[in-house]
Amino acid sequence: MHRLKQGEVNLGTSIMAVQFDGGVVIGADSRTTTGSYIANRVTDKLTYLHDRIYCCRSGSAADTQAIADFGHYYLQMQTQVMGSAPSVLTAAAIMEKMCYQNKDQLSAGIIVAGWDKKAGPSVYNIPLGGGLFRQPWAIGGSGSTYVYGYCDATYQEGWGKDETVKFVKNTLALAMSRDGSSGGCIRMCVITEDGVERKFIPGDELPRFWEGKEVLGEATRKPLAALSTVSDVAPMAVEV
Amino acid sequence: MDPSLRIVPASVPKTASVAETSNSLGLHDTLQYGPRTIATEMKTEGSLKDRLYNETQDNLKLTMMRNTYGLHAPMRLLMERRIVSANPHMTLLPQTNLQLDILMGRDESVEAADVFAGPLSGPPLDIRQDMEKKHRI
Repeated sequence: MHRLKQGEVNLGTSIMAVQFDGGVVIGADSRTTTGSYIANRVTDKLTYLHDRIYCCRSGSAADTQAIADFGHYYLQMQTQVMGSAPSVLTAAAIMEKMCYQNKDQLSAGIIVAGWDKKAGPSVYNIPLGGGLFRQPWAIGGSGSTYVYGYCDATYQEGWGKDETVKFVKNTLALAMSRDGSSGGCIRMCVITEDGVERKFIPGDELPRFWEGKEVLGEATRKPLAALSTVSDVAPMAVEV
Repeated sequence: MDPSLRIVPASVPKTASVAETSNSLGLHDTLQYGPRTIATEMKTEGSLKDRLYNETQDNLKLTMMRNTYGLHAPMRLLMERRIVSANPHMTLLPQTNLQLDILMGRDESVEAADVFAGPLSGPPLDIRQDMEKKHRI
């Protein structure tokens, strides 16, 4: 596996997918960087593979786009031959095969999630080496390392759609606030049997958590309000 | 090529050998190929060189076709290509194969190969040797 080549565009990222009773919610931040330059601050990392199957991309932008393109191409052929929508497992398997067989040249972490008739909602995580793991929820990208604890502590089975959306939103906001390669806005997709609903949360409407406070030197700093009513100085006697 | 889902050619360690330009004694044939140079000895092509890259991508599409439709689909395509490339002529200088271009999907585009495809060396000095090379005897 190669690290990113010099000058290559990096999807250093926070991506996430969670399954709930009737579907899946997938979400991602929107930042693409080339070194310290943000090449695109409104990226759409949620890529269409099929009508009810999407993938979240992290890692090298070029690598993941190439894999997603071929995955889409392959699933179109499958649909023609089978006459019906492919299952999420089929989509995840083809992405995994491509990631594994090219593993020495790729740097791509992908989460495939969607809904199909046979298995219902499913989430498949394909991390860097090209393994395939089915999980009820999966996070990926550089920002995910900061939120494993939050996700483990918060996730409950049996949630409905709104709670899952809130979970994804909060997790991504926390990841974006700590990871330098994640930021911008949150893009989410809710995939159910009836369709795909896209949600967009701009940067100024992100959920906010503890934002930090400068504690050093607080004891000697006078609060602002007290400064205007300084009372230990007597007014100067003025002769008219 | 073997069926594989490789997207780009694998990077192989670079090697050089005298095999291609050697005469019957195993040494570099200066009379025929000129003085010995690195260019003639390089065995490895750059992995992003056009021909190998296109071959790898083509192989990827054929493998996907095989996985979806069965072995017959890429087999038929490759058979058609081979039929069309079977050229009974002796090696003349300008060679254009319109049928092959159509099958490979480059009949409606103008590429660098179309503009710069002059003969690499002059008129054929040894027709028998060229035919040997072509039929890989």
